[in-house]
Amino acid sequence: MDEKRLKFLKIMLYVVAGVIVGRLFQIQILQKNEWVAKAEAQHTFENKIPAKRGEIYMMDGSEAEPVVMNEQVYTVIVDPFEADERKIKETIFTEGMKNYLTVAEANEVFADKTRRYFVVAKNVPRELAQKIREAEPGAVWLRENTKRVYPEGQLAARLLGFVNEDGEGQYGVEAALNEELSGKDGMLKTVADVNHVALSIGKDNVKVPAEDGKNVVLSIDKNIQAGVEKILAQKMAEFGKDQASALVMDPRDGTVLAMANLPSYDPANYGNVESAEVYVNRVTSDPYEPASVCKGFTFATGIDLGVLTPETVFYNNGYEMIDGWQIKNSTYGRSDLLGPTTIQNAYNWSLNTGSIYALKLLGGDPNQITVKGRKILYDYYVNHFGLGKLTGIELFEAEGLINDPEVGDGRDSMYANMTFGQNLMVTMIQVASGYSALVNGGEYYTPTVVKGYMEDGKLVEKEKAGPVRRAVSEETSTTMRRMMWGTRELMRAQGIDRAGYDVGGKTGTAQVIRDGAYSMDEWVATYVGYGGATGQMPQYLIMVRIWKDGETTGAEQYAQPVFNDISNFMIDYLKIKPGV
Amino acid sequence: MRKHRGDRIILFTTFILLIAGLIIIYAIGPMRANFLNAAYGGDISENHFFIRQLVNVILSIAAFVVAVKLPYETTKKLGKWILLAGIVLSVALLVLAKTGSSLAKCELGACRWINIGSFGSLQPAEFLKLGLLLYLSQLAASRKADGTLNKSDFWLPAGVASVISLALVVVVQKDLGTGVVIIAIILATIFASGVEMKKFALVMGAILVAAVGVIVTSPHRVERVRTFINGDGADTYHIENAMIAIGTGGLTGVGVGNSVQATGYLPESINDSVFAVMGETFGFLGLTAVVVIFVVMLTRIMRVAELAATEEQRLVAVGVFAWVAVQMAVNIMAMTGLIPLTGITLPLLSYGGTSMMFVAVALGVSYQLSCYTKREKELAQKKFSSGHLKKRRLNENSSSRRR
Repeated sequence: MDEKRLKFLKIMLYVVAGVIVGRLFQIQILQKNEWVAKAEAQHTFENKIPAKRGEIYMMDGSEAEPVVMNEQVYTVIVDPFEADERKIKETIFTEGMKNYLTVAEANEVFADKTRRYFVVAKNVPRELAQKIREAEPGAVWLRENTKRVYPEGQLAARLLGFVNEDGEGQYGVEAALNEELSGKDGMLKTVADVNHVALSIGKDNVKVPAEDGKNVVLSIDKNIQAGVEKILAQKMAEFGKDQASALVMDPRDGTVLAMANLPSYDPANYGNVESAEVYVNRVTSDPYEPASVCKGFTFATGIDLGVLTPETVFYNNGYEMIDGWQIKNSTYGRSDLLGPTTIQNAYNWSLNTGSIYALKLLGGDPNQITVKGRKILYDYYVNHFGLGKLTGIELFEAEGLINDPEVGDGRDSMYANMTFGQNLMVTMIQVASGYSALVNGGEYYTPTVVKGYMEDGKLVEKEKAGPVRRAVSEETSTTMRRMMWGTRELMRAQGIDRAGYDVGGKTGTAQVIRDGAYSMDEWVATYVGYGGATGQMPQYLIMVRIWKDGETTGAEQYAQPVFNDISNFMIDYLKIKPGV
Repeated sequence: MRKHRGDRIILFTTFILLIAGLIIIYAIGPMRANFLNAAYGGDISENHFFIRQLVNVILSIAAFVVAVKLPYETTKKLGKWILLAGIVLSVALLVLAKTGSSLAKCELGACRWINIGSFGSLQPAEFLKLGLLLYLSQLAASRKADGTLNKSDFWLPAGVASVISLALVVVVQKDLGTGVVIIAIILATIFASGVEMKKFALVMGAILVAAVGVIVTSPHRVERVRTFINGDGADTYHIENAMIAIGTGGLTGVGVGNSVQATGYLPESINDSVFAVMGETFGFLGLTAVVVIFVVMLTRIMRVAELAATEEQRLVAVGVFAWVAVQMAVNIMAMTGLIPLTGITLPLLSYGGTSMMFVAVALGVSYQLSCYTKREKELAQKKFSSGHLKKRRLNENSSSRRR
């Protein structure tokens, strides 16, 4: 009987062993692929190989100089659960680390000892990180990352933008060219241990190298940029205005040489601003009403179509009644300008009645505004001069708005207003590009702010794009320069415009819409003008916008002086020799 | 009984398993060290686990040799004392734990080890296993000789020793895994001693009731059963990763040193989960070989029982059989998701000193007993004669009926 019992125990062993081997067969042979898949899902890690973000250069004369660079910095992370509080205090909470700590006291890190991850310092420079590493405090990680540094400080900050904590470009060039600048991250696919440390065990490890971002060279000349910003700051202080933007470009090919917006901010500490408004590059992304500078577009349209010349005479009544609205000249009170006068005078003295007369002539009827006239003006504004639509510059831009010439009520008064730059929304870059076409012989160029790329320390220039279209005829352009030159008689008389130089321009004082109506006591001042040696094509085009909310800022008084300074600065900087 | 050559197969299989364990610890020890260093900032050297396991193996071989050389008559007398030592040590451990002494080594609220300086730690439960095995065998054998096996002369002392041991291990030390092994030793010894089936069934029933009671009174054990059934929780991660390791091994395994699961995914990779790592490393063929080696070893131990010179020796061999078989099966079946996790080592293969040494002692005793077994010839003769006798009787019966 006892032998049977032993046999029973033995049989039980065999049964259990059989079950085990059967189970092993099931797991290891039948279900193998399932388990391998689960293992792979668990063991395989894709590590990003971060691409190096491209740096940003500006021109320094003919050389490219970096204005936005990368610096290797470290984030210091402590594991409060494992770390020795005394050691952490001694090695990390030092005097030298003060500016980088994210917590004031070491105690805070150890308030909750169960935590395994605590960022104690950010943007720690390499030397300090090295010191911490050598001190071996234990349970501390130094995570490498890059930080943008700005050797030129706040220069062109609103053009350049910044890079946020996640490494994404925000505003300006950093945002608009984010893709080019950030490059393409590489990938390391590897079998790793439970702490995600790569193992040499796997045979399917994959490595795709990172493609570093491009080093973008802007066409901006940092000296011009600095000069323009300095002049803006001076004039703002002098005039007591708090907002100003300026744009300098080469009208001959649309190259932007300076794009300034004040006040600026420190991109290295971009968080220290009162409002995000200070990040906005107004030149391209803030549409507004530039007012009378648009008279240049209106007159050029008429001249180009042969319906008027600067000498064309019209009767200036001081105001016009259209759609039941009285549209006045800003020189309403000056009786000497009343009566018959020329288009050139209308341009010089910015007579709204003159540009309205031009609109009437466009429609073929000197006595009234017609659909035909409105349609022609719309066509020239939008399709010839590029107003109210994206210019195609490499930055973020706003489109603005030019209302339809036919659909809608009150089109006559609206278009009458549009002849002198109100009742429409355009950006500075649109106006400046259109004016470039007016003065450069009549060809429209897409404005550009990118000159090329730095490759292996050498500037590789982007191929220059030709003109996009003919905006006006060469003769019209010549006439427009003459008209713009004509407005600056006083400047020449005062010696502001020096002999041997051809400098022309136009003011624009815009009423600002407040609560749905044009305000009588809040104006924005604009000036657009060109300059160069007499007898030559203009070498620069400058557009200025200056204002202060709630104040009347007249163009002649405030914008023109800024232009004057920048114009003379350009002549000096470009060393333009006087012509004859 | 005259001494003759022992069963070399027991010797051989023991040695193979010890070597296999060493190889696997050699391969994954560095990974374990690396993982612990990374997780806890320690400074454990790559060879730390291998060297300690090597020491364990040498000590276990020494223990095996002592168990073989020490006359069984002496070992037998030690049985009671070993059991007593186990009880005393368990009580001492309880006191040490209660007083918060650093001598008590506790993990997750269960105090199962006594620290003995730099040498390591001692698990009193192992003393209980061996002591109870020797004590119950002697008791059952002598009561059987007296003819009082089914009387309280046997049941009372056996019951008291068993209940005390189990209470200390399962309730105080919260070690259900070791408890299962102790129950196996008790049941196998009693069963083999030839007690009445009715009484045996009663014991089984009592143990079942006690087991359910122990489980439902402990939230942590209810949780373990629940997660085993539902397939969630920490144990599920452990079992899942054990099965990932085993499954990944396929037919032939990924090779020595190529285990990824041992780099931290699989908990207890060098101790309780070593079978799974072996599965990843050596594949189905390797694991089947391990199971077969165990089965061969156990069959030979059972053979010692079958051929044992005395009833007592027979019961000791059966006890060792139950010990090794159940510990092996419980460990492997948990690793393959057949039963819930209980947390016991795989005999001879898992990293760890006390467990390995006591199994070595048990196997050493078995080996010594294999030197004193009856000759197979004798047994065969006896079998033949008794069979012959039965047949004849049968024939007589039939013939008588015919008449």
